[in-house]
Amino acid sequence: MKPVTLGVCFSILLLSMSFGVQGEQTQNPSKAQAAPAPIAQDHSTMDHSSMDHSSMDHSSMDHSSMENGSTAGVENMEGMDHSAMGHGGMDHSGHSMTFDARGMVMNSNADQLPKDCAAISRDYSFTVRAGTRYAEAFPGNVFGMSQHLFAVEPCSRINITFINEDAIRHQFMVHGLPRYLYPQGMFHLEAMGGATLSGTLIMPSDDKTYLVHCDIAQHMEKGMKGQIKVGRGSGDLTSIPGVSALFRSDNYYNSQSQILAIAGGMVLTLIGLLVWRRYRR
Amino acid sequence: MKINTTPLRIPLAIVLLALAYFTAPDAWIPHQWRVATYNWLGAASYRDAPTSKDYSLPDAEEICPPDALGWRDEQIIEGVLIEPAAGCVPDNPYLIAAVTRGTNQVSQATLLKSGLMPDTVMMGEDLDGDGDPDEITIKLEVVELNGQSPDVPVPVTTFAIAPGIEPGMWVFAPKSFGMSTENFETRKANSLLRPPAPVIRVEQGDRVTVVLENSHYLPHTIHFHGVDHPFSADHGMPHYEGANHEQHAMGTDGVAETSEMPAMPGTTLTYQFSPRVAGTMFYHCHVQANVHILMGMQGMFVIEENRPDNWPQTLNIGAGQVRHSSVAVREQYQREYDLHYFDLFKNLSETIQTHNDPRLTLIDQHRRWNITRDSANYFLLNGKSFPYTLQESLIVVKPNEKVKLRTLNGGSHSIALHSHGFRPTVTHLDGIPLGPGSEFIRDVIDLAPAQRVDMVLQTTNDGLHNYGEGVWLFHDHHETAQTTDGIYPGGSVSNIVFDSYVDSGGFPKVQGTDWKKFFTAEFYRKDVPIWLDYDPTGLFADPRAPLRPLLQLAVFGAASTGFLVILFMLLFRRGRGT
Repeated sequence: MKPVTLGVCFSILLLSMSFGVQGEQTQNPSKAQAAPAPIAQDHSTMDHSSMDHSSMDHSSMDHSSMENGSTAGVENMEGMDHSAMGHGGMDHSGHSMTFDARGMVMNSNADQLPKDCAAISRDYSFTVRAGTRYAEAFPGNVFGMSQHLFAVEPCSRINITFINEDAIRHQFMVHGLPRYLYPQGMFHLEAMGGATLSGTLIMPSDDKTYLVHCDIAQHMEKGMKGQIKVGRGSGDLTSIPGVSALFRSDNYYNSQSQILAIAGGMVLTLIGLLVWRRYRR
Repeated sequence: MKINTTPLRIPLAIVLLALAYFTAPDAWIPHQWRVATYNWLGAASYRDAPTSKDYSLPDAEEICPPDALGWRDEQIIEGVLIEPAAGCVPDNPYLIAAVTRGTNQVSQATLLKSGLMPDTVMMGEDLDGDGDPDEITIKLEVVELNGQSPDVPVPVTTFAIAPGIEPGMWVFAPKSFGMSTENFETRKANSLLRPPAPVIRVEQGDRVTVVLENSHYLPHTIHFHGVDHPFSADHGMPHYEGANHEQHAMGTDGVAETSEMPAMPGTTLTYQFSPRVAGTMFYHCHVQANVHILMGMQGMFVIEENRPDNWPQTLNIGAGQVRHSSVAVREQYQREYDLHYFDLFKNLSETIQTHNDPRLTLIDQHRRWNITRDSANYFLLNGKSFPYTLQESLIVVKPNEKVKLRTLNGGSHSIALHSHGFRPTVTHLDGIPLGPGSEFIRDVIDLAPAQRVDMVLQTTNDGLHNYGEGVWLFHDHHETAQTTDGIYPGGSVSNIVFDSYVDSGGFPKVQGTDWKKFFTAEFYRKDVPIWLDYDPTGLFADPRAPLRPLLQLAVFGAASTGFLVILFMLLFRRGRGT
């Protein structure tokens, strides 16, 4: 009788722990999608959520869902894939661009209204400073931005002044914008070391969260990640310093400590059970 | 009602013991016992060994991707003659033009197609008045490839050295613009971000400035190995930008412990020198060299002899064929190839794929990983392993030519370069010409770590220099280096191929085994039988795993346990059951 009870307790404990772990992981994307969207059970809202570029940055998994989430099917994926901003023989005709010794401003838009906006609702002006010193407040990060969250109204116009305080390149890149206004759905400021650039973009009307990042290898991973939340937004993106937890957190302990912690939990449970049995009698 | 089992115990024990004996795996029974059993009971009846698994090869990558943009063709861009590409994956000709003329000299259209910034390769004054610029400023950044992401469970900004093989690496890369990936939907790094660091080519006597813009999250320097440079820059250079200026001393040797403070993340270091001696040299990071060099922070540095109107191709991305050689090279040779060998340690590479927090990576790299207890797993030629080496590091020759090979061993072990079909002539060691009479002909040529060997392929079919046309293997004869983490063929193996043996796409006309399997991630993941295509009947395929031996083992387990339980009861609990 006694061992059986204990066995059941152990397995319940283990099961609940494993569920707890799983729950944490699976929760995150859905949270990112639906957390601040009380009326978001409406399917159309869900479909247009910014899931496309949130927790899946750079992974080539899930193209299908990304495609579903794209704001306007003006360009198809293929068209976009190959017209990337880059390198060699690529077509840059779709872009409005300035490119000089200070860096690059791409797809700045101060007057073209998104289809779903009748007028500009409001003007915002943000000054964003980039540099290693802005990572100091966030342990484990190396590169930083002075601001990670930009909350704006639907159909608003945003002016970004991007001040690069480091001696190397940094970028302020926004993804997921409507492609008929912003080729590749992208707004891009790229400032050389010490340079200041500014650009303007007009946001569409739907509640959506847009990814802001520096795409230089490991700069987003090491702190240069933010989000523009239009209206209620469509949830927080993951791993944004000061906003949301790392989706895949780091492990700061060796396995012995972890096993000890688990064993500690088990022992406490057993003691609890024994005490409980004693007092139940 | 209770059945009295006591009298049954002994016969049951005997039956169980016999069952255990006959179900035990053959190898567990002493040979003599089995012979005795055979003599007594005769041979066991025939049973088929398991049949072969049906195996269909997974979809292979394209062996030779089509050259949709015409980059392989001979072309003239910005007045720069770019020779046709030998292999099937060519370098970007706009980039070649931009780094030859200078990114500050070419049109914006060319620059945009190159992916470089206007200040990546800046050409200045022609100091000696011989028709080419002698002031050159080169800006390099530091890029992490196949690194960790806090969001996705796969590496980001990826570079595959072989199908499906993505070890963590750091490289020097030319200062570029835009996304680090090919586009937003892929994890693949753009073509500028790759190992090895670009080959840097300047002219003897040029005033060279190399600016390290440290875009990486750890400190770095550059040591110019074999390149004539002052220890301290007391002639006005270097200057340091960014934070912590006052901490930097004025050294230019790149050694964190003896020369200068490294460039911290987000800051820059400037190196200036004017090399007086020509030759094939080396550059690499000299911070925690045992880790940083072997993470991939290394490149070839070539100083070309000074000639009038001489425009060397300042950067050769990913090394390999030089599509715009210097005047001095063209005087003597029909073609020129940069061949940069190095190796990677899987355990070291994984240290940047396990944590996002750099502090944890540092503990792993410097205090847990121990180079003295590890050996290299990946062997690269120009940043790639077989079969990718054949896409872009193919050495294509024609009969009766002289072809210059500049080789560098940046890896941790020595290299015994061996050529089939050729005996190359060694002309320079560590950039220094051996001189007439001291040049030597070998078919195995040793390269110590950091050594450079310049050699000539004389494609004259005389039985000494060459045995005729064909597809000839060119490889490190250390057998480990012919594998990718133990899978053969892999490693730094490439080919020297006569152009009559190259197909229109740029791939060698190989004979023998089917190559498709080499272009699958499954092959290098060790999932594919190595001789799958040798025999379609499945002679060399994997055997199926039949259920019967497992069931037999289960019966053995049950019988032996039963036997032991009864034995225990008989020995220690005698009489209790009655």
